[in-house]
Amino acid sequence: MDLTPRTSSDNAPLAPRTKAKKKWRYVAMLVVVVSAGGFIVSQFLTSAIDFYCNVDEIGSRVGCEEDRRLRVQGNVVEGSISESANKTTFSLVFNNKTIDVIYDGDPGGIFQECIPVVAHGRLQGDTFEANRIEVRHSNEYEAANADRISESEVAPCSQQVG
Amino acid sequence: MNHAGYVFGTYAITFALIVSAVVYTLKEGRELSRNVADKDKPWT
Amino acid sequence: MTTTELPAIKGVGTQATRLYGVLALIALGWVLVGGLFFTPEDVVQGDAVRIMYVHVPTAWTAYLAFIVTGVASACWLLGKKHSMGFDRVAGASAEVGVAFMALTLISGSLWGRITWGTFWVWDPRLTTTAFLFVTYLGYLAVRGLGGSPHQRARRSSVVALLAVLEIPLVHFSVVLWRSLHQEASVLSPDGDIKMDGIMLFTLLFGVFGFSVLFAWLVSHRQRIMAMHDAQRASALEVAMADRLQEASS
Repeated sequence: MDLTPRTSSDNAPLAPRTKAKKKWRYVAMLVVVVSAGGFIVSQFLTSAIDFYCNVDEIGSRVGCEEDRRLRVQGNVVEGSISESANKTTFSLVFNNKTIDVIYDGDPGGIFQECIPVVAHGRLQGDTFEANRIEVRHSNEYEAANADRISESEVAPCSQQVG
Repeated sequence: MNHAGYVFGTYAITFALIVSAVVYTLKEGRELSRNVADKDKPWT
Repeated sequence: MTTTELPAIKGVGTQATRLYGVLALIALGWVLVGGLFFTPEDVVQGDAVRIMYVHVPTAWTAYLAFIVTGVASACWLLGKKHSMGFDRVAGASAEVGVAFMALTLISGSLWGRITWGTFWVWDPRLTTTAFLFVTYLGYLAVRGLGGSPHQRARRSSVVALLAVLEIPLVHFSVVLWRSLHQEASVLSPDGDIKMDGIMLFTLLFGVFGFSVLFAWLVSHRQRIMAMHDAQRASALEVAMADRLQEASS
C-alpha cells in the first residue's frame, strides 16, 4: 500500500506543502522569540535589577560610585526649579541628602516640585549633569477639584512619594 | 483635555483591537460551522 | 411572493456567551464614555490618568488568561483522560492573553510618555512584562509546530506550566527591585486603595468588563479550535479510506 503523502486532495483542508510551510513559519517565530527573550534577559541583568541609586547612596553603595554614569532618584525640592536658556536646574532630596541637578532642556512628563524623579547623567563636582529625566508617580489617584487645590496650597508637598 | 492625542489614541487602539478580535472570531466561527457536522459541535 | 428560509447556521455562540457579550458591552461602554468624559482629572497626572482605565484591566486580563492557560494545561497533563477540551481552553486563553498583553504594553508606553516623559525604560516591571509577552508568543509558536493534537497538547502544557511561574515575578517586580513603575493600585502590598470613588468604580468596572470579554473570547476561540481539530480528523479519515480503497482495488 502506498503511504507517501499526497500533494493535494479535495478533502484535505491543508495540503502537506502548505502544512510544512506553516510549520516553518512557527519555527521562524520561535527563533525570533528565543532571540528576543535573550535580549530582554540581558537588559534585565544589565539595567533593570539596579535601576537607580538614591541621592544618599551616591559614593556609598556598590554601583553608585561618583565617577561613573548614574541614575539618581530623589524628590524634587520645593521651590528649587529654575529654567533659563534651555537649561533646567533643580535639587533632588532623599533621606535628608540633597544634590543639585542641571538638565539640558525641559524635563517633560509631569515634572514638578515634590515629585520623585530619576535623573540619568554624571556627577561633575557637586552638580549632577543630567541628559535624561524620568518622572515617577505614585499609586495614589486623587480627583483634581477646587477644594483640593486649596488643600494642596496649604501642604504643597503632600503628593510626595518615596 | 491635555495630552488628548495620547489618551484618545490609547482608547482607539484598545477598542479597535477588541472589535477586530470579536468580528474575526464571529466570522471564523460561522464559516467553520458551515463545514463541520453537528456531531462535532456539542455546544449546539 | 414566497420566501425560502435558509437553515440557520449554528455558530459558536450559546446563551451563556450571549450573556457575557451583553455584560461586556455594558461595562466596556462605560469605560469608553466614563473613562474619557465623566471621570475627573487626577491632581498630579491630569487627563493622563484616563489611560489607567484600560491599562490596568488589560494587564489584569492578560494575567488571568495566562493563569487559565496554566491551570487548563495542568488539568490536561494530570487528568487521566487527557481531555482535549483542556488543551483547547489553554490555547485559546493564551491567544487572548497575548493580545491583551500587547495592549498593556502599548497603553503603558503611551501613558509612560505623558507621565514619565519616555515611551520605554528597561526597568524591572517593563522588562519582566516584555519577557512574559515574548514567552507566551513562544508558547503559541510551540503550539503551531505540528504533530497530532495530543503531541501539541503535551509539549505546550509543559511550556505553559513553566511560563505561568513568571506572573508572580512580574507582579512583585516593583517590590522586589527598584522600579520606575508605581506599585499596584488595587492589589497594593499594604492593601490600602488610594483612589477616589468614581475613579475606582470605573477601574473595577473595567476589570469586570475585560474579564467578561475574556470569557466570551475564550469560549468562542476554543470552539473554533475544536472545529479545526474535527475538520483535520475527518480529512484524515477520508484520506485513509481513499488509500484503503485504492489498495483493495
